Amino acid sequence: MSTPVAEPFERLQCQWCQSLNEKSALACRSCGAPLDVRNLVSESGWREAPRIRDMTEIHFSNSTCQVEGEIVPVAEINLSPGDAIFFEHHVMLWKDESVPLTLMALSGGFKRAFAGMPFLISVASGPGRIAFSRDATGELVVLPLQPGMEVDVREHAFLLSSHQIQYSFVRIKGLANILFGGQGMYMDRFVTAGSPGLLILHGYGNVFERVLRPGESIMLEPGAFLYKDSTVTMDVEFQKLGTGFFGGANMSLARMTGPGRVGIQSMYVHHKTE
Amino acid sequence: MFCAKCGSRLPDGARFCGACGGMVAAYAPAPPAVQPPAPPAYGPPPPVPRPAPPPAAPQQHAARCSWCGSPLDAAATSCPGCGGNVSEMAASTHSGWLQLPGRKDMAKLQFGQSTCQIEGLYVPVADFNLAAGDSVYFAHHALLWKDAATAITTMPLKGAWKRVFAGMPLIMTQAAGPGHIAFSRDLPGELIAVPIHPGQAVDVREHLFLTASGNVVYDWFQTGIWFSTKSGDETETHYPVGMFMDRFSATGQPGLLLLHAGGNVFVRTLAPGETMLVKPTALIFKDPAVQMHLHFERPQTGFMSWGSWGNRYLWLRVAGPGRVGVQSAFEHLHGEALSMQGHSYATEMRW
Repeated sequence: MSTPVAEPFERLQCQWCQSLNEKSALACRSCGAPLDVRNLVSESGWREAPRIRDMTEIHFSNSTCQVEGEIVPVAEINLSPGDAIFFEHHVMLWKDESVPLTLMALSGGFKRAFAGMPFLISVASGPGRIAFSRDATGELVVLPLQPGMEVDVREHAFLLSSHQIQYSFVRIKGLANILFGGQGMYMDRFVTAGSPGLLILHGYGNVFERVLRPGESIMLEPGAFLYKDSTVTMDVEFQKLGTGFFGGANMSLARMTGPGRVGIQSMYVHHKTE
Repeated sequence: MFCAKCGSRLPDGARFCGACGGMVAAYAPAPPAVQPPAPPAYGPPPPVPRPAPPPAAPQQHAARCSWCGSPLDAAATSCPGCGGNVSEMAASTHSGWLQLPGRKDMAKLQFGQSTCQIEGLYVPVADFNLAAGDSVYFAHHALLWKDAATAITTMPLKGAWKRVFAGMPLIMTQAAGPGHIAFSRDLPGELIAVPIHPGQAVDVREHLFLTASGNVVYDWFQTGIWFSTKSGDETETHYPVGMFMDRFSATGQPGLLLLHAGGNVFVRTLAPGETMLVKPTALIFKDPAVQMHLHFERPQTGFMSWGSWGNRYLWLRVAGPGRVGVQSAFEHLHGEALSMQGHSYATEMRW
């Protein structure tokens, strides 16, 4: 490929989210991934989610998000007028008093409860600041979504999403409560319509991603599943652990089949469902 | 009400304690009593100019550490009081929170004739080298290792068993120099060094205390922040910032206090009257001048609220002047979803 002559500026493409950045940038404007660090890919093909440097700023719509801390990172949002984000109530760390909160109307939300609270999606609107974090060590996974993208996320794992993204949830068929790491009968689904949006997840421990080719499969511990493209299918399979005595034991694994991305977390915390 | 001397539960209005015989003069009020000194009525928040992040201390002629105020040597690369890097100090977020600690691994702190080295980044260890005559006290479960020769004893604690009564066992143990002794906690987080200057005090959420030098005065008080919930026949009182808070102060000479908080730690200094809403379980410490009370926020909704939740979010509203510290890994707030029967002083915002 030859370098286009007419291009006045050289652009640097982010290896994580594919957006273009100025050549001098040290971190991606859209996802915060360091641009001066090589991708870390294991021999088996898993890519480590980019380690976002402390205090990195991410831009979305007319607003910004600063990622603070490296043990339990905080996403601090500075909302512009007209911008809004939505999130689950239990991740709010602090907010300006002047930021209005509303609730998103969800059909069937009352069937899903989390920590004794009805399942509610709250919406914060700009202008103002609000910050989010979670209850355990992990990483923020920043997924800028381009129009037409569809991502499924383990329930209660998303930290926030910008208002351009449409939210719904899907029930995972054939999964009894106990099979999915003790919880998870639902997956949150994020779909972009006309304009790009920002989705931020919190994965426990370290987060790894791989891209499955069409028809390629990988077996996952269900509790480690964090996110996938909606093109990736998920089926629960029983693995018989034969011991020769007493018929052995069963363990369940999730078979993920491509094409698309799959993200996992290395520390699978089993939530209690109430 | 409770006896101030021994902590026994007494009938309201009793003049003498049946358990210890003491006169009930200044009794400690039962939990639902303490009214914070009239916080400002809720209105649209006044426009508070965001203070510019404190300028990083210049490397050459730095006189005082911007975090703890300890005097600095011109040649020092880290603050002897809190271990902070002199060149960069703590990084500040765009909204004005300082992230702590801006400290190098193996940073060394000084207090009295002794030193303390902070080791590790995930679950940092405080490794003390105590000189003869110096001592530290700690909650026994924080002990990581010690020299066989380092002497440890239990410390008599005024009113301690009242906290045991409240379901929070607390045994303070004391270690005296000379010798080495080290402390850590059981979850990933940050170790916060809070040097306390004479006349200064700091209020700390319970169970975050790691250790303090022997000259730091330990006291505790009832937070007076509570709400009660009803579920069936069961009524329960919840204390979002704990029933008690620890207060550490120094009188004659400066002392050193070490805290451990979950996740990352952020601190900001509120101007007089400046307010902020923080997750109650995220609060780690505050200056005694900072007032706090519950705040209910009712999101705007076009539909009916569900069940007992009552359509409200529960915040802690903190008002300056003074420092406030929060941790990014906070626990779940128990009882938030249940039907509320009563609560301590609270403000409310309906959107």
